[in-house]
Amino acid sequence: MKIINDYKILGIIVFIAFSCKLYKKEFDNPVDYKANSDLGINAPALVFYPKTQTINVNETLIVESVIVFHEDSIQAFSGAHLRVHFPNQLIKLDTIVPGLFITDTSQSNPLFTYTFDGNNMIDIYTYFLSESKYFIEGTGHIADIIFTALEGGVDSLYYDLDYCEIINVYDDEISILGKRGAEVKID
Amino acid sequence: MQNYIWFILLISCLFSMSQEPTYLVLNHFDQEIPEAEKSLIKSFNNSKFEFNESIKNIFLDLDDFDNPASSHMDIIKELGAEHKVNFILLNKIEHNDDRFVLDGLLFNTRSGGLIHRRKIDLKQYLNGQINELIMWVGNTLGVQQKDWQENRESILFSDPEEIEYEKTPMGAAIRSLIVPGWGQAYSNKKVSSKVWFGVEASLSLAFILSYYNYDISVTNFLKNSNSYNTTDDEKLVSKYRSEAESDWTNHIKYSRLAIALASATGTGWVSNSIHAWVFGPRPYTNIYQEWGSSSKLEEG
Repeated sequence: MKIINDYKILGIIVFIAFSCKLYKKEFDNPVDYKANSDLGINAPALVFYPKTQTINVNETLIVESVIVFHEDSIQAFSGAHLRVHFPNQLIKLDTIVPGLFITDTSQSNPLFTYTFDGNNMIDIYTYFLSESKYFIEGTGHIADIIFTALEGGVDSLYYDLDYCEIINVYDDEISILGKRGAEVKID
Repeated sequence: MQNYIWFILLISCLFSMSQEPTYLVLNHFDQEIPEAEKSLIKSFNNSKFEFNESIKNIFLDLDDFDNPASSHMDIIKELGAEHKVNFILLNKIEHNDDRFVLDGLLFNTRSGGLIHRRKIDLKQYLNGQINELIMWVGNTLGVQQKDWQENRESILFSDPEEIEYEKTPMGAAIRSLIVPGWGQAYSNKKVSSKVWFGVEASLSLAFILSYYNYDISVTNFLKNSNSYNTTDDEKLVSKYRSEAESDWTNHIKYSRLAIALASATGTGWVSNSIHAWVFGPRPYTNIYQEWGSSSKLEEG
């Protein structure tokens, strides 16, 4: 009887001890320069947010194009050219709209335009041409790229860094040190 | 309480001639014990008795002296000379509820000192006082009979395995396993009961607080991690990450603390139960003293 009770007590203790589950510290937000750095992607970097999405066929897919600087960076940029490739067999480009970072946040209206090659490549251009606001600092949301899902499958969007460019107010190029793609899963 | 003092002059064994020692036996009972005289005469039928009730209330304050063995040497010698005996045997019987205490003292009238003392605390049994008195006197005289011993053993269970005790060590252990300190309280060990309860209550409380803090840390960690993953604002990302990291560190710290405290509480709990069993209530093992053939000189 005592032995049974002892085992019960020990069982409760063991249960409680093991119920203290330890969680893994996983921080992987593409907007977080520390998380990118942990993955070997240094700032400034071009990333998509969110890093992965799952939608159904015919639903709308919104992918944010984001430029990530180091928290302490004082580098300012005045213009950007981003080239994005997407899996056109899964998704179809709908439209592209300027991100909050270069519109509402900066209280400015930069030049914003894009081109689509009709296949799977998008070029986004944005420049600050205003006399009052001609550069911007820090991490931010450049554009929302809106797609429509065509059929099921898994693929990814990615930047083509060979054609991507960030310039400062003196038209000097700011080196882009890293990039992250985004995964799209269509059910 | 009525005191009865009997004076019995026991003059050697009839068959042993005049070289045998002679005894003056003084009995002091706090209650009347019927048939005491007849039983003594019947039990020691080879001896010669003379009864006298003239001696009252002597040696009752023996334990009040620092050295009881030599506290009444003069009066012992005087009584020895007066009654021409070698030894004085004083038997005191006091009753306490269902028990009685027989305090037997043997004095040497030549030196006046106490040479042997035996104190027996017994549960009453049929004619127990008379039987114990006879056994004690018989032990002093070197006379023993088997039926006296058997009569005493009649108070013992023939099969100790069948004894069902009201309180047992196992009962104490189980109680302590349910509530720490209960088993000790059950064994009338109030201090250790409070100590065990206090220690276990403190450890348990500390564990509960640690677990509570762990749970809060985990909840906050998951909440901040989720917020971190679902925002694209760099300032909020930094804020949620910082808070999540702090929560993660706390959840590790409180988890380790909770496990350590749970282990300490569990170990203490089981130890408390074992302690309750080891020091649990057990029956008296000295229900009676083993009957020895030789007298022992009492110290002091």
